[in-house]
Amino acid sequence: METILDVQNIHTFIGQYHILQGVNVRVPQGSITALLGRNGAGKTTTLKSIIGLTPPREGKVIYEGKEVQGARSFDIAAKGIGFVPEHRAIFRDLTVEENLKIAERVKGDYLRKRDFIFDLFPDLKRLMTLSGTALSGGQQQMLAIARALVPENHLLLIDEPSEGLAPVIIEHMMKAIQLLAKDSTIVLVEQNFLVASQLAEYYVIIEEGRSVQAGNMKDLVNDKAAIHRYLGAA
Amino acid sequence: MNTFLRKNTVLLITLAAILALFIAAAQGMEKKDFVITLLRGLSVGSLTFLVASGFSLIFGLLDVLNLAHGTLFMIGAYIGWTVFVRPDTFVDLLTPLALILSGFALGDVYPLLATRIRFGLSLKRILPWALVFTSILLFGWILPRYPIAIWNVGNYGQSPVTYSFMADSGTRLPVLPAAFTEISAPLALIGLLLASILGAFGLALFNNTAQPLKLNWKKFISFAILLLVALLTFIFNDSLTAALTGLSSNWLFVIAVLVATLSGAGLGALIESTLIRPLYIRPIYQLMLTLGMSAIGIEIVRAIWGRPEFVMPKPAFFNGSGGVCPATNFADWWANNCSTILLLDGRVRVYNEIFIPIVGVIVLISIWMLLQRTRLGMVIRAGVQDREMVEALGINVRRVFTMVFALGVGLAALGGILAAPSMGLSNAMGESLFLNALIALAIGGLTNYPGAALGSVLVGLIQQFIIKYGQIGIAIPFTDIIFKPTPPLVPASTVLLMVIILLILPNGLLGKKE
Repeated sequence: METILDVQNIHTFIGQYHILQGVNVRVPQGSITALLGRNGAGKTTTLKSIIGLTPPREGKVIYEGKEVQGARSFDIAAKGIGFVPEHRAIFRDLTVEENLKIAERVKGDYLRKRDFIFDLFPDLKRLMTLSGTALSGGQQQMLAIARALVPENHLLLIDEPSEGLAPVIIEHMMKAIQLLAKDSTIVLVEQNFLVASQLAEYYVIIEEGRSVQAGNMKDLVNDKAAIHRYLGAA
Repeated sequence: MNTFLRKNTVLLITLAAILALFIAAAQGMEKKDFVITLLRGLSVGSLTFLVASGFSLIFGLLDVLNLAHGTLFMIGAYIGWTVFVRPDTFVDLLTPLALILSGFALGDVYPLLATRIRFGLSLKRILPWALVFTSILLFGWILPRYPIAIWNVGNYGQSPVTYSFMADSGTRLPVLPAAFTEISAPLALIGLLLASILGAFGLALFNNTAQPLKLNWKKFISFAILLLVALLTFIFNDSLTAALTGLSSNWLFVIAVLVATLSGAGLGALIESTLIRPLYIRPIYQLMLTLGMSAIGIEIVRAIWGRPEFVMPKPAFFNGSGGVCPATNFADWWANNCSTILLLDGRVRVYNEIFIPIVGVIVLISIWMLLQRTRLGMVIRAGVQDREMVEALGINVRRVFTMVFALGVGLAALGGILAAPSMGLSNAMGESLFLNALIALAIGGLTNYPGAALGSVLVGLIQQFIIKYGQIGIAIPFTDIIFKPTPPLVPASTVLLMVIILLILPNGLLGKKE
């Protein structure tokens, strides 16, 4: 399978702290790849380094065959990468509709994608005129994912989609992500191993800023020792 | 509705208390005094708002406390004055200015150029310095020799004060001499262009962190436009001067307002893209930089326009006198362009107390529409909250930063030129209004746009009421004492209002809770 994203040995600093000390992630086109690891391992920083919000000092980020590390994040995003951050980052002062419209990269993106988004998240339709603050956690997560769907994105970076959500909503979110995976490639950061194992085909484990193990999710599910060692789950 | 009341109880009580205070203040004076004081308050409030709103937009989106904002307000006033009173000087300045800016308009090209040229490490360190140094040398050699028809601050008879007075009394202004004698014209023009490009390239190399990915013709548009402007203004210098001098003072005033506002915006864009941008990661340095710029700005104004205060003449539209003036109704005023109009027996100055507040309201509504109805406004509102996320959506936030900085400084400069015929021009005009603006923002809510308007109006009103009561005195109830507030109480009263409001509502009247 063709590789859409190839992260090669990146080192990222935040201030003076050496957060990523050699992370490798290879993402096959059309797959869901989960970044796993304990709290503070560097999963979120890996996503941010890919999109250029915390540019890596060393190493390469190759997206669709081109090196993008060092470019400004809006340029990287404009190449077709959607970012759904942890805590959703919904714009409070904008209405739900404006939160979607702002993501337009080409005029008319929003109108083209509107029906698709409402099919995926019917709840959003009746919330359009509300401000971003009025939404519940689950609605905010839907909006954050919907926002990444407005422009033509080939790769979605989704950070902790299940965080702080009720089990019913997590299930709904998982279905939505599976549906999205039919058209685009997804890199997922997920603390909840159960969720990650059901969604992803591939995984990369990050431990103290280094990628330590990668492979097929099916193999990891049976590798109880690795799960216990790196993820602390039984 | 109930939840709105519950959530905003403190705010509503505070607003009611302020309203009650103004009603009480109105009771203590005659109707005509009240009208005049109210309109003066709105006038000062409008000017304050122009400074405060720009400052707050910049702070909200860029996190930059632009301490030079008051100075830029003042510079707007002086630039507008120059266009209005000495159009010949203004036209002479256009060519060198366009050339100086042209190099900086290529800002996006330099990083790419730097990656194309391969040089060794030592050359890489020296090159930016060498370029900037050469550029400074070139500027230093050419600019003093470049002929510009300008007044002489050292000679009272040829100083801005005299020219301002002559323009006001309708005396024809003398023609100022200027010709290429010390330097040949082509050498001066090409030299300035070269100096600008070298300087901008050098500065870009200092701050070369990330490169744009592609180069296209769009990146050259502004450069080409500036070159064209330089060339045209050079060729048609004399006819342009004659055209401006021949214009009626009303049209000249409109041009002065436009030029001052646009120069403010241009200056803002230049400051943001060259000086502020490298310092986003060092906020304290930024603070020191803007403070320094403020001091430098004042010294530059002193050097160019001199220290004495003077007033810019009002355009003919607001300057009629004699005969039926002051006008008693709007039709009379329209027919005679009286400088004053009688409202409820109070003599109101049309420019100061009616025109300025109207402009204030127009700006308030236009910026509000810009923020609420346009994509740029949407990006600004989103960026105030979360810049990173806006960038991650594929939006060039840096360009929006430059635009907002330009808009903010442009608003301040607009305030400056509007204030020039009412407050007059002085080296201190920026400082005092900037202080007003900061207090207004603290009262209204630091990054809240309607809050900036509300705070500015409150500051303007309270100051003018205290000034008025300084003249007529406040009768203290149940006693025979008449209290007359002294002038130092004018600024003190606004600070007191700020302290009280911040004690009750720590985020200001309309500021959001963090």
